Amino acid sequence: MPVEHAAHAEVLRSDARALAACAERLREIGARLDAAGVAPPWLRASVNAHVAACVAAVADLDEAATRLHRYAARSRP
Amino acid sequence: MTSPSEASPVGPSDSAAALLRAAAREVVDVAVTLREVAGHATAALTDGELLRGLPRAPAEGRSACRALLRATTGRRGLGYALTGGPLVTLAAKVGAMAGAENLVVRVLATSLRLRIAAVAVDHPELAEDPMIARLVDAAAADRDLEAVRALRALLKDRGAVRGLSGLAPVFGEVLALRALLDENPLNDATAWLIATGRGRATADPITGISNRAIAVLDTGEGAARRTDLSDAESARLGDRGSLLGFLGNISVIGSTGRILVQSVQGPDGVVRHVVQVPGMAGLLDGDSPQDLLGAFSSAVLDSSPYSRALARAVADYGLPEGAEVALVGHSAGGAAIMNLAQDSGFCARFTVTHVIAVGSPVDFKRPADPRTWVASVTNQHDIIPTLDGQGAGNCFDLNPGWYVVDYYDSSHLFPLCHRLEHYIDNLARDLPEARDHIDDRLAPYRGRVVRSQAYQLFDRAPDPAGFPFLTVPTYSLDGSVELPIRCRRGSALTALFAADREAVAGVLEGTGFGPLLVAGRALVAMHAAWNRDTSFGGYREAHLGVVVPGPGRSPSLWPDLLRSAGRRRSGSLLVGSAVDTEAVHAVAPRLWGGETHLEPVDVRLAAGRARVSVGDAFTLSGRLGPFLPVGDRDLVGYTAGTGAGTLRSCVRVRGPGRLHPLPLLRLTAEPGSAHPLAERVRALGLDGASPLLSLSSPARQTLRDAAVPLHPRDRPPVAGEVSPSCW
Repeated sequence: MPVEHAAHAEVLRSDARALAACAERLREIGARLDAAGVAPPWLRASVNAHVAACVAAVADLDEAATRLHRYAARSRP
Repeated sequence: MTSPSEASPVGPSDSAAALLRAAAREVVDVAVTLREVAGHATAALTDGELLRGLPRAPAEGRSACRALLRATTGRRGLGYALTGGPLVTLAAKVGAMAGAENLVVRVLATSLRLRIAAVAVDHPELAEDPMIARLVDAAAADRDLEAVRALRALLKDRGAVRGLSGLAPVFGEVLALRALLDENPLNDATAWLIATGRGRATADPITGISNRAIAVLDTGEGAARRTDLSDAESARLGDRGSLLGFLGNISVIGSTGRILVQSVQGPDGVVRHVVQVPGMAGLLDGDSPQDLLGAFSSAVLDSSPYSRALARAVADYGLPEGAEVALVGHSAGGAAIMNLAQDSGFCARFTVTHVIAVGSPVDFKRPADPRTWVASVTNQHDIIPTLDGQGAGNCFDLNPGWYVVDYYDSSHLFPLCHRLEHYIDNLARDLPEARDHIDDRLAPYRGRVVRSQAYQLFDRAPDPAGFPFLTVPTYSLDGSVELPIRCRRGSALTALFAADREAVAGVLEGTGFGPLLVAGRALVAMHAAWNRDTSFGGYREAHLGVVVPGPGRSPSLWPDLLRSAGRRRSGSLLVGSAVDTEAVHAVAPRLWGGETHLEPVDVRLAAGRARVSVGDAFTLSGRLGPFLPVGDRDLVGYTAGTGAGTLRSCVRVRGPGRLHPLPLLRLTAEPGSAHPLAERVRALGLDGASPLLSLSSPARQTLRDAAVPLHPRDRPPVAGEVSPSCW
C-alpha cells in the first residue's frame, strides 16, 4: 500500500518537472513570436496566464507528492 | 489575394504564418503534456489504496487527499482537470456543464487562436472584418451569447453564403474553439481531436451528435450497373489521359450517380486504368450512394456504400490481377476513392498507383499500399474539405508523403469555390506548377484512351425493372406478342361522365348489357394512357366505355370498384377504342376486342392540366383541379358483339393516383368530324360535357393480358386463345 502511494508521488514529482518545462516552453514561444514581430496582441496576456497557472500547478503537484510520501511513510506497517 | 496570380498555393515560404503554425503545434504539445499530468494526478486521487490506508494514518491520508484534490481542481493551477475512467469522465462532464474550466482547454484555445492568426496572414480580410473578428474574439473568450449574436449578425449582414464563405478558412478552428469552451460536454472529444490533429472529427462540433451515429444510416453493400453515356457526353470525354482530362471527364458525367472507368495506353505501351468519381448527386436519394448521407459516411467512415459500389464497378470492368489503377475524385468522390485506396483487399488485387482528391475531406485517410502517391487539392474557402476537422489552419504535417495543394483565390464564395469546374479553372489557369507536377506524376497514364465505361452506382443491388409487380410468367400469343404486356412506365387519365340513360341504352342495344345507373343517370368512362416503356414498345391508347354492372347479378357499385380486377364484376363496356401503333392495333382484337381505330393519340398530364386527343375524333382538355391522393385502380373492360362473343379484359395497375373531384375538363367531338369515335361521343350526348370526376396517374406500371371470352363453351376454341380457367 505505501508502495503505491510512493509510486504516485514519484510520478507527480516528475510531472511537476514536466510542467515547469511546459511553462518555460510557453515563455519561449511567446518570446519567439514577439521577436519575429508576428505575435498577436492578445498572446502575451494568454501566455502569462498559462505560465502562472503552470507555476501554480507545479506547486500543487509538489505539495501533493510531498504529502503522499509522508502518507506512505506513516502508513508503512 | 496576396499574390499577383489569381490563385496562391500556401506553403512553408509564408514565414509569419509558418511561425504561427509552428507555435500552435508546440502549444498543442504543451496541452497534451498537461492532460497527461492531469491524468496522473487524477489516478492518484482515485486510487482505492488512498482510502484504505486512512485508518493507519488518518491525518496524513486526509492531507494527501486534500493536496491531490487541489492539484486536480485548483482554479489557480490545472483547473478542473479530472480525467480518466468512466466515473471520473462523468464528473468531468458535470463540471464542464457547470462551466468549470481547466488549463488544458485554455492552452488548446490559445493554439487554435494561433492557427486563426496564421490563416489571417494569408487572409487579412479575416482580421480586418470587424464581424468575423467579433465572432472569433467571442468564441475565444467563452462568451457564448456574444458568439451566437456575432454569428447571427454576420449571417444577417452578409447572407448565409457570403457569411460562411468569409468564415470558411477558419471554420474548423472557430467551431473547435466554441466546442472546447462551451458547456456542452458531448462535443469536447471532437474539439480535442480538431485542436490536436490526432484524428478526424468524430461528432458535430456544435451539438456533439456522433458522426458515426448518422453515418451508419447509410447502409448497403454497394452495386454498380453499366450504363451508356449519351452521344453528346461521349463526344466531350477526353481522348488522352491528363489531370485536367480526367477532371473534365468527371465534369462531363456530372453529379448524376454515375462514375467513369477508362483504360489508357501509356507511353510505354502498358494499358492502365483510371477510375473517375464525382461528388454528391443529390441531398437524399434512397438508391444512390452519391447522396448527402453517402457523402457524409464516405467522409467519416473507412468504408461506405459509395466505395463498395466503386469496387464492384472496377470488378465488373474486368481488370486483370495486379493491374495499375489511378483513382481521381472530386468532393465526396475524393473521400470515396480514398476509402477504396485504404481497402487492403482491393489493393491486394490491384496496384493503386495514384489517388488524386480534389476538394475532399481526406486528411485522416491512409492508403493501404504505402507506395500509393496521393495528391490533395483544396481551396481554402471551400468548407467541404474541412469536414474532417482540418482546414486552412491545420498546423500538423498529417501526411508527410502527400502532395498537398492548399490554395486560395479571389473568389471567396462557397459553394462556388467547391464546384469542380472552379477547381479545373484554377488548375488550368492559376496553379500551373501544381498541375504540371501532378501531370508529371501521372506520366504513365498520359496516353491514348482505349476504353471507356460508365457505371450507375447504387447503395444496394437494384431490383429488376418492375420487380415484383412486373415479374410475372409470360406466354406468347400466336408468336406475335408476349403477354401480359408489361408497362414499366406510363401515365393515364380516366374521366367519368354522367350521360342520359336513353342515349346510352341506344348505344348498348343488342350487347346484352345495361348501364349501371347512379341517380337515374348512366356513367360513361373515357380512359386514355400513354404507355411509354412496355414489353411491346411504347404506345398510346384511348377508350370510350359505358360503365356496366357486369354479367349476371348487379354488384354494389362502390365496393365493387374498390376490388382488384380479378374479383371485380363491374367494368366498362367498350364502345370505341383507338391506339397509335400498328403493332398494338394488330393485336387489339385479342387484347380487348371491339372496334379499335389506328389514330394519332395524344395523352398529356402536366402542371395540373390534362389533354387527350384522338385524331380528328375528339379532344378532352382542361384543368384537373384539386385532388385527393389515392392508389391507381385496376381496369376491367367488356366488349360485346364480336365473333368471339362477350370478352372480358383486365389491366392490373400499380402506382399512385390522384382523384380529382372537381375537374374543369371538357370533352369535345371535333366539329364536322365523321369519325366513328366522334359519332359515339355525340351519340352518348357527351359533346361539350365535363366529367363528374377524374383519376389521373402520373406514373404507373401496368400488366395487360389478353381478353377472355365469358362463355367459351358457346363456340369452338380458337387457336392461341386464352381460356378463362387461366384466371
